[in-house]
Amino acid sequence: MRKILVIQEDIVILKILEQLVKINNFDCKAIRSLEELNIDDQQSNFDFIITGILFEGISPLEFVAQVQEVILHKNLLIVTNMGQDKVKQEIFALRGVTGFYTVPIDLDEIEAIIQAY
Amino acid sequence: MLDNIENIIRSSYVYTTANYFFFIYGLTLFGLYFSGVLLAIKGIRRTKRKSTFLQVGDIVSATDIPSVTLIAPAYNEGLTIIENVKSLLSIQYPYYEFILVNDGSKDDSLEKLIKEFDLERNDASFIQQPIPTASVNYIYKSRNKKYAHLTVIDKNNGGRADALNAGINFANTELVVCTDADCIIEQDAILKMVRPYLEANEKEIVACGGGIGIANDSVVKNGVLKELKLPDSIVPMVQVVEYIRAFLLGRMAWGEINGLMLVSGAFGMYPRKRVIQVGGFNPRTVGEDLELCIRLRTHMEDLNIPYKVVYLPETLCWTEGPPDYDILIKQRDRWARGLWETMSLHKKLFFNPRYRYMGILYYPYWLFFEFGAPIVEFLGILLIIFFGIFGLINWPMAVLLFFLIYGIGCLFSTTAIFLYVKNFDHYTRPKQVVELLLAAYLEPFLYHPVLVYGQMKGYYKKLFNIKSGWGTMTRKGFKISKS
Amino acid sequence: MNKESLLLSIEIVFSLIAIFWIFIAFSLLYRRIRTSQLRLIEETFADIVSRYLYNDPKNPLTLAEITRTLRNVGIKSKNSNNIQFLIRLMIRTQRTLLGNNFKKLQKLYTQIPPYGVSIKKISSWSWYSKARGIREIYEMNQSQYFDEIFKYRNDKNIYVRREAQIALVVFLGWESLRFLPYLKHNITLWQQIKIVEKLYDLYPRPELKWLHRAYETEKLFGKKLLMRIIRKYELHDETGYIIDHLNHYDYEVRETAIYCIQTFAVSLNKMNYIKELYEDIPNVNQQGLLLNYIFENSEIDLDFYLQQLYSDNEDLKLSIAEILWNNGYKEKVQEFYYQQYPKRELNVG
Repeated sequence: MRKILVIQEDIVILKILEQLVKINNFDCKAIRSLEELNIDDQQSNFDFIITGILFEGISPLEFVAQVQEVILHKNLLIVTNMGQDKVKQEIFALRGVTGFYTVPIDLDEIEAIIQAY
Repeated sequence: MLDNIENIIRSSYVYTTANYFFFIYGLTLFGLYFSGVLLAIKGIRRTKRKSTFLQVGDIVSATDIPSVTLIAPAYNEGLTIIENVKSLLSIQYPYYEFILVNDGSKDDSLEKLIKEFDLERNDASFIQQPIPTASVNYIYKSRNKKYAHLTVIDKNNGGRADALNAGINFANTELVVCTDADCIIEQDAILKMVRPYLEANEKEIVACGGGIGIANDSVVKNGVLKELKLPDSIVPMVQVVEYIRAFLLGRMAWGEINGLMLVSGAFGMYPRKRVIQVGGFNPRTVGEDLELCIRLRTHMEDLNIPYKVVYLPETLCWTEGPPDYDILIKQRDRWARGLWETMSLHKKLFFNPRYRYMGILYYPYWLFFEFGAPIVEFLGILLIIFFGIFGLINWPMAVLLFFLIYGIGCLFSTTAIFLYVKNFDHYTRPKQVVELLLAAYLEPFLYHPVLVYGQMKGYYKKLFNIKSGWGTMTRKGFKISKS
Repeated sequence: MNKESLLLSIEIVFSLIAIFWIFIAFSLLYRRIRTSQLRLIEETFADIVSRYLYNDPKNPLTLAEITRTLRNVGIKSKNSNNIQFLIRLMIRTQRTLLGNNFKKLQKLYTQIPPYGVSIKKISSWSWYSKARGIREIYEMNQSQYFDEIFKYRNDKNIYVRREAQIALVVFLGWESLRFLPYLKHNITLWQQIKIVEKLYDLYPRPELKWLHRAYETEKLFGKKLLMRIIRKYELHDETGYIIDHLNHYDYEVRETAIYCIQTFAVSLNKMNYIKELYEDIPNVNQQGLLLNYIFENSEIDLDFYLQQLYSDNEDLKLSIAEILWNNGYKEKVQEFYYQQYPKRELNVG
């Protein structure tokens, strides 16, 4: 089954994204920080990672770089509160980010992307 | 000779004057502390309510908020420099820059930084230096895009104030936060610190400070305080109480009436343009944080522009306090010298109505009750000894008075601990709170006399012009959790 | 002071300490219970909202189930603290979503408790309750109370009037510019930010007639607000308003103008005009910012930079020299520095 990893610190956004993913027939792993990842997860190749960038003890840029380095994935979508143009440009400069969405967000856009996959 | 001393002491003039002086001094201090508690309660409540309308989540997503540079000087901190830089880089703020100023370290700090962060050397010839500093050798920026916000300034040694000035010169943001490389800053600290700047209405904010906490023996992971523990030994343990009391009651209260004269060097935010206007930190005093704050205030008074110095009650910065008596004495000796130097540099403020409340109330308070307190305590001890020797003390009453004063001291500490426990969730276990209370009650016996000794030592050095610098502050380092 | 009164004072002081111990114990206990209760409400609410927005036909969520679940976790009219927490969660969630989900949530919020709690707060004597009530009303889009809120736009309490002003934006959109630039009291930077962001989130299509009318304002905060709106909406045709304020007499207005113009790349004509205004700016930091903007957004204009290099203004010469040095005019910089030290002063040979 196709698999999506959702990482969001805010439990409400996390649960909404999890439900969105499940209803679209994806297997979903929803976590609030990278520490919750187990060994199996680290070996899976996720079709999508949908993640925030604000996490404890790590700068947004380093977090994105770390996710790209340690978790196998095909697409990386960022959904974050901190979505200023400057932040967006810096994240895209890291390369490998498929999409960047700023909260408030129209989740239909995320749904369209995963449905089209 | 002894007879002469006895005659002087026994004279009703000395006896009565001394009695009245200590009584009035003590009563005034009590009155100030009591008003401080009331003002602090009001201030904490108001700050909490105000934060409902300006939440961290709102600020993090806003676009027109001021940009901020955090400046941390480092001198021979090679052992922990990488951890510290990663920790300070992880602070959450959309328009954030971090400048580490390597202040002529003799160890391998710079080499480690170059290697870890893939730093590239840039020429410093065209750097504007509105504040004169020791010469800057090179500016380093990372080639790695994930460290885009890091700048390392490598300069010749000039001391902490000079290093901060170099950072302020190079910063390109509206606000600057000055801290130390080994401080652990709460992730959302800057989001909280910019609040007063965003909300400033008729009065310009010239400085903003946050609470500082003692985190000896706490567990740190990825540069974040993972588990806040109380220190194992009594000296730092009492400092936890001392900081809570000083920041939550003292600073909060003075902040309420816009009477703050000090924003701690460990964590203070300033508008860059104002700091440059006043010429930055003064490298010739060891109390550069107090001195800058007073100079900023004086500058605004001179310009006749309404201004405010703000304090946030929440602990936003954690540091390691002196772990033993030796280092504590060195620290307080330095603080006392800094206070002496600053008071003397700004003596023109003393009862000067041109500087309004600052001249009439705040400066005299600092002179009489911050600068003067150790001297009064020291004199008090001397007089008790002399009065005791000459049989001028009614011991049963003296013991009762001692219990009363001791009780009042404990009451203020207990109130501070209560307010802290009620409003913040740093110490939530009953065992921790009991330990804090015990430390507070032991403070007058095991800690305070050493403090007075340290302060008097500092004054003695200033009085007899004995040269002394910053003194070495050996730190044990936090417990690092790798898992 | 005699012995008895001293003893009595000691007793009072130590009794007060004991009372504080009880307060501390109570605080610790209350915090522990409350934290777990709030966590439960938050998790339950997250679950309800996610299932409501993406209803699973195999496991449908009914309105009755939502109300029952909320009641089970303590959302009852007698428990005002829990209700207040739920309102905060509702607002927080609504502010994260746009499009269909936003509309669905609004519908949900009309059907679940708390009913009419916010409007009651408006009549409170306390500024805190009043401001919170106004905020809840506009965040939950209860436009039926607009008239009630409108009268607070110039309230003496900064928080009450601030929330009322944001409500104006939420309910009137661009038309709120009829009032905002002319308010009685100053509006803070945060207030300006909030107004611009609310307007942008809820009314993304600009209605320029309101903006043009608002240009007439003489209020400094009004000018700053309008410039921020132009910047946020990237209204290229309106940059003239920003440029006209680059040399304004007020420091903050200039600061805002310089900040806002940095979003735009302007035509050659406008850039030449900006260069003319550059010399009128009385603050060196602001001149520095504008110099950066000019450098990054136009071709190297040797005459302009040389004119600055040889002018009486010493403060930015280093920056100008750097620009020339790094852009192929090293000899011009050297020439300038040699000219500073005439030959007769040099002790050479």
